[in-house]
Amino acid sequence: MPVVDAPTDSILHALASHGVTRRRFLEFCAATTALLALPQSYAPRIARALEDKKKPTVVWLEFQDCAGNTESFLRAVSPSVGDIVLDVLAVEYHETIMAAAGFQAEAAKDAAVAAGGHIVVVEGSVPTGANGVYCTIGGKSAVQILEEVTAGAAAVITVGTCSSYGGLPAASPNPTGAVGVPELVSGVPVINLPGCPMNVDNMVATIVHFLTFGALPAVDGEGRPLFAYGERIHDHCERRAHFDAGQFAQEWGDEGHRKGWCLYKMGCKGPSTFHNCPSIRWNGGTSWPIGAGHGCVGCSEPAFWDTMTPIYGRLPAPPGFGVTTSVEQIGAGIVGLTAAGFAAHGLIKAGQRKRAHKQDEAPIEIESATADDEEGAGQ
Amino acid sequence: MTTDATPRPQDEAIERTPSTELVVAKVWELPVRVVHWTIFVSVVVLSFIGFYIGTPFLSTGSDPGFLMGGMRAVHNLAAFTFIAAILARIIWAFTGNKWSHWDQFVPFAKDRRANAKDAFRYYVFLSDDPPHEAGHNALAGATYFVLFTMFLVQVLTGLALLSLESEGFLASTTGWVFSIAPIPWVRFLHHLIMWLTWGFVIHHVYSAWLVDSDAKAGLMSSIFTGWKRLPPEDL
Ligand code: HEM
Ligand code: SF4
Repeated sequence: MPVVDAPTDSILHALASHGVTRRRFLEFCAATTALLALPQSYAPRIARALEDKKKPTVVWLEFQDCAGNTESFLRAVSPSVGDIVLDVLAVEYHETIMAAAGFQAEAAKDAAVAAGGHIVVVEGSVPTGANGVYCTIGGKSAVQILEEVTAGAAAVITVGTCSSYGGLPAASPNPTGAVGVPELVSGVPVINLPGCPMNVDNMVATIVHFLTFGALPAVDGEGRPLFAYGERIHDHCERRAHFDAGQFAQEWGDEGHRKGWCLYKMGCKGPSTFHNCPSIRWNGGTSWPIGAGHGCVGCSEPAFWDTMTPIYGRLPAPPGFGVTTSVEQIGAGIVGLTAAGFAAHGLIKAGQRKRAHKQDEAPIEIESATADDEEGAGQ
Repeated sequence: MTTDATPRPQDEAIERTPSTELVVAKVWELPVRVVHWTIFVSVVVLSFIGFYIGTPFLSTGSDPGFLMGGMRAVHNLAAFTFIAAILARIIWAFTGNKWSHWDQFVPFAKDRRANAKDAFRYYVFLSDDPPHEAGHNALAGATYFVLFTMFLVQVLTGLALLSLESEGFLASTTGWVFSIAPIPWVRFLHHLIMWLTWGFVIHHVYSAWLVDSDAKAGLMSSIFTGWKRLPPEDL
């Protein structure tokens, strides 16, 4: 183990005591610089900031969640970037992974919050219905806990689509009145890392950015960091050449699917989804959904469960016509009905003309009488 | 009322046909006809390609072509032609002759309301006398207003979809579309308006043919030549 003369609560010391070599540490800094889309000249600055800084205190809250982001956080392949971030964070409270329980756990949380300047990570949506009874911990509702823990915090990071936008619990009809964290927190900077789950590499990079520059990275209109959500999946997808070539899988397991052709016709939502999955991938860069042969479901977009479904269809079903109807069927129906309507109109007009023609041949008095009648009717 | 009694700017374009009571008038000026056919051709191209983009029914199989890429490039080209035609027509609605003026599309004025009533009675079989109007009858004008509103939404949704692949100007000018409707619903709307446009085309061609066959003013040929043969009081 390398010997370092850094304070015991410093990031550098934590890394060293976990057997992370200086070379590996600098590699990590360079990789994170690239992920943040910063010029490589920033890598030494990031390294210096991480060396000097105290381990940031993290309070990890879980509300209406599936712990998928915790999984993402823990299942990093060693010794990976995610592994390192685990080492450099002082996670004072995390229900799923902490050793303490009950009052002890609450005390640890209260101590971290009392000290202030901590980073709050929130996983899961917050139910606001029925005064918040749908999610309570230690006798307090999620709304109360969120309010208490974010007071005095340095930043709030929402991990996963549920805590960013409400996610699955907020999907129609949203029985618990679930909302995303940004709707409830004010006065503290909030950044969203949506995804189902979020990618731990993006979380690391966000925290590193915060430690290095003292501010959260720049965000898009949905509150997501641009470095991770600034580009569309479709524009960086490894199957894009097949899209441009017009080569599409038509069925699961058909020849095109086996050859790795584009999944557009299988309902891939890559053309509507912004995330860096194609470049950073998952599980230590092993693969990612589209790489594994399944279309993107758009999980990092707000309200994806309501708007990106059907998962295996390209467009939403027309409201009121059932989920198997497509907009093309409705549209073709409209065109067909229009044609039928005007054909009927034409037939009636033809009949009307025939009658008018007969009247033309009738004695002149009748015609003028008809004209008078019509004028009268028109007044 | 004769054309001599009230001279109008269009008078140079009116020729008397001595043998009958009718006059021949240049109703649709060249820009109006060019815009009309540019819109028609671009809508045909945009719809065919749009349908392909939505449901790629052709496949290049194992041959590594550039089918979807090419289709999308032509869609963009046709789209900007379409936008240019619409902008030209909007300008012409303020600078062209009275039949192409913007007020022909909204039946607000008294005589337009009366004309709308005549046209309505004609269309619902209460009268066999087609509406008397050299330009658009008031109801037809109103349908073009609806059509142009649809076109505007189509242009907006199209540009917003285009902005997904480009940051910068397009994204900052059309990004607000997605705060009204999520991306999949914007696509949905873009499809729906395509179909509604074809519903309109059926109505449009049928009604033009119907009125032409009653009024016999040369309505159908006028969109090619610009000329109509009319009783002078219709001008
Ligand atoms: C005038 C401006 C227009 C623009 C800028 C525009 C642009 C676009 C763009 C960018 C796409 C998406 C391509 C993709 O997803 O990769 C698209 C798709 C499409 N366009 Fe247009 N378009 C326009 C007009 C029209 C018109 C007039 C029609 C038909 C009447 C039409 C029909 C379609 C259809 C059906 C699609 C497929 C959409 C999808 O499935 O995602 N477009 N258009
Ligand atoms: S698989 Fe999906 S994201 Fe990839 S090119 Fe095809 S449609 Fe785009």
